[in-house]
Amino acid sequence: MAGELTTDPAAPEEVPPPPATSDADAMAARLAEAGRAKRLDDRTRMVLAYVVLTLFVVIAVGPAFYLISPAFRDSVSLFTYPPEWIPNEPTLENYRFLFSNTSYVRWAINTLIFAGSTTLLTLATNTMAGYAFARLRFPGRNLLFFVILATLMVPVAAVLAPTYLTVNTIGDWPIIGNWIDIDTYLGLILPSAVSPLGVFMMRQFIETLPDGLYEAARLDGAGEWRIFTRIVLPLIKPALVVLGIFVFMLTWASYLWPLVAATDNEFRVLTVGIASLKGQFVTDWGILAAASLLTIVPVTIIFLFFQKWFVQASMAGALKQ
Amino acid sequence: MTAVGAAAPEMVSDDWATPSLSDAEYRWRARRYRFRTVRRAAGFLSPYLIIWGVFLAIPAVWGVFLSFNRGGLIRGDPRVFVGFDNWTRAWTDSELRTAVKNTGIYVVIAIAVVFTLAIFLASLLNHYKKGSNFYKVALYFPLLAPPILGALMWFFMVNFDFGILNLLKRGIFGGDGVRFLGDNPHALLTIVAVEVWRGLGFWVLFYLAGLQSVPEELQAAARIDGAGKWRRFRRITVPTLRPLLLFALVIAVIFNFQLFDSVQVLTDGGPRLGTATVVWFIHKRLFKFQDTGLAYASSIGLLVVVLILTGLSFWLLGKRRQREA
Repeated sequence: MAGELTTDPAAPEEVPPPPATSDADAMAARLAEAGRAKRLDDRTRMVLAYVVLTLFVVIAVGPAFYLISPAFRDSVSLFTYPPEWIPNEPTLENYRFLFSNTSYVRWAINTLIFAGSTTLLTLATNTMAGYAFARLRFPGRNLLFFVILATLMVPVAAVLAPTYLTVNTIGDWPIIGNWIDIDTYLGLILPSAVSPLGVFMMRQFIETLPDGLYEAARLDGAGEWRIFTRIVLPLIKPALVVLGIFVFMLTWASYLWPLVAATDNEFRVLTVGIASLKGQFVTDWGILAAASLLTIVPVTIIFLFFQKWFVQASMAGALKQ
Repeated sequence: MTAVGAAAPEMVSDDWATPSLSDAEYRWRARRYRFRTVRRAAGFLSPYLIIWGVFLAIPAVWGVFLSFNRGGLIRGDPRVFVGFDNWTRAWTDSELRTAVKNTGIYVVIAIAVVFTLAIFLASLLNHYKKGSNFYKVALYFPLLAPPILGALMWFFMVNFDFGILNLLKRGIFGGDGVRFLGDNPHALLTIVAVEVWRGLGFWVLFYLAGLQSVPEELQAAARIDGAGKWRRFRRITVPTLRPLLLFALVIAVIFNFQLFDSVQVLTDGGPRLGTATVVWFIHKRLFKFQDTGLAYASSIGLLVVVLILTGLSFWLLGKRRQREA
């Protein structure tokens, strides 16, 4: 009950009292009294709260730190007891192996191609579709939007077999089959760029732009495409950044579709590649740790760097309204 | 008339009251206008519609048909129509039953644990605001890594020989280590722990946003009226969060129902199917080419369950909007 008094600036005795009844005054006095008596108790509570929070932070980031030591030593030394926390003979052997004996670099490049193209494709198609649903009037508009939205939650696993068969079938066709097939980039990318979430997001965002903009442009004789590229696109940059980061993070982390659609090492992505380093029966722990660490560090740095961008993006969105 | 006027501003005559076009001409112009709007919309929509149609909508519909077939994934195993055979067998297949049961157990425990922890941590962060930004960022960290990498990190943590959990256990309690991934039910519980670890940051931020929407004045008023901490939580915080909580529950069930990545990389369904889940079952049956028919049927089963839950969540969201309006 008194827990709020230390942190809550609205505690009765600190507010310049409005013309209050004597009842409320008495209550405020009682609360202040109770607050003084419990102040020590509050401090222990606060310390306890921060201890708990810190504990959870340690649990959240701890596993990543636990990879550091194994990544820089010989896997055999992992099994000594008592454990050797700081490597006696730190080595880069795991990284040398990773770069020379596995296709880590290839996987990383594939991941960038895969996630990058999926993001760009999603942004382009979703923004255009979102614009059509927000600004254009055409018959069947609401029905079509509803049907598309209904597929929002379709799980990858539920359509895994028919999607695989579709890509496989297209792969048998002449000419186009050279580009879209199992174990091609497009076969990997296109089925990953289907989520209607961005269409929905972009429609919502474009609808908030004032009508006057369009009317002015139309009076000036601008066509629909010109309005879209010259007026709408610059205005929805914040939404594009947010959607772009979101799609990229989701795509590069995806596993199930790349696992079945890119089995050839030439097209394998990081998630599938690193998972394949963990053997069925024997695991080279050092290499696994090295690969995982090498993958997480750049993402973390980018996240810490882009965090401000996120804030700016959301602020810009809020200011527009 | 207005439609024509909007399409061709130059046609607007000085006198709006008298129609300047004959009936036939009016109809022709209306048709031309409609054709133009459709063409314009098609230009903007077709890039998305083609990809969406070919790689999501058509496969989803085709999947329903496939569930009455088997084979067809590889050349040596042509597709055969088998009627309701898959469905009757799916109903009695013991491996699928185990998978559904495991998924159910997993979903219930994981959501109960992650929601309890998230609401607890969110109310702490809501109360003690000093440094809360640091805690939010740090708790969000596990979401940065792909599920596969998160699972692999825990592969080190729970290792029998050098995992920190076993080192601590042996150091404090003595005795042998725990085979976190090699025994039942430890393996499923370990998977639960990994997924709770991954999702916690998201749900903390989610509930923190919800808690911050609880009006301060309401809390202050209740305090003045002498309502205790627990009472305020029960009577103010919970009712405010309830619609949010229901929505979150449906979303969490949908996503957790699709558990696959960490299972595949950590246990591959083992030991003795102890961590077999529905999606793991589907993947296994499809790409070990064992019994594709069963996989086709269970895919559609998964789809139906998820779509029902999605409908439920939209309905809840609609109700919430109505109440807010």
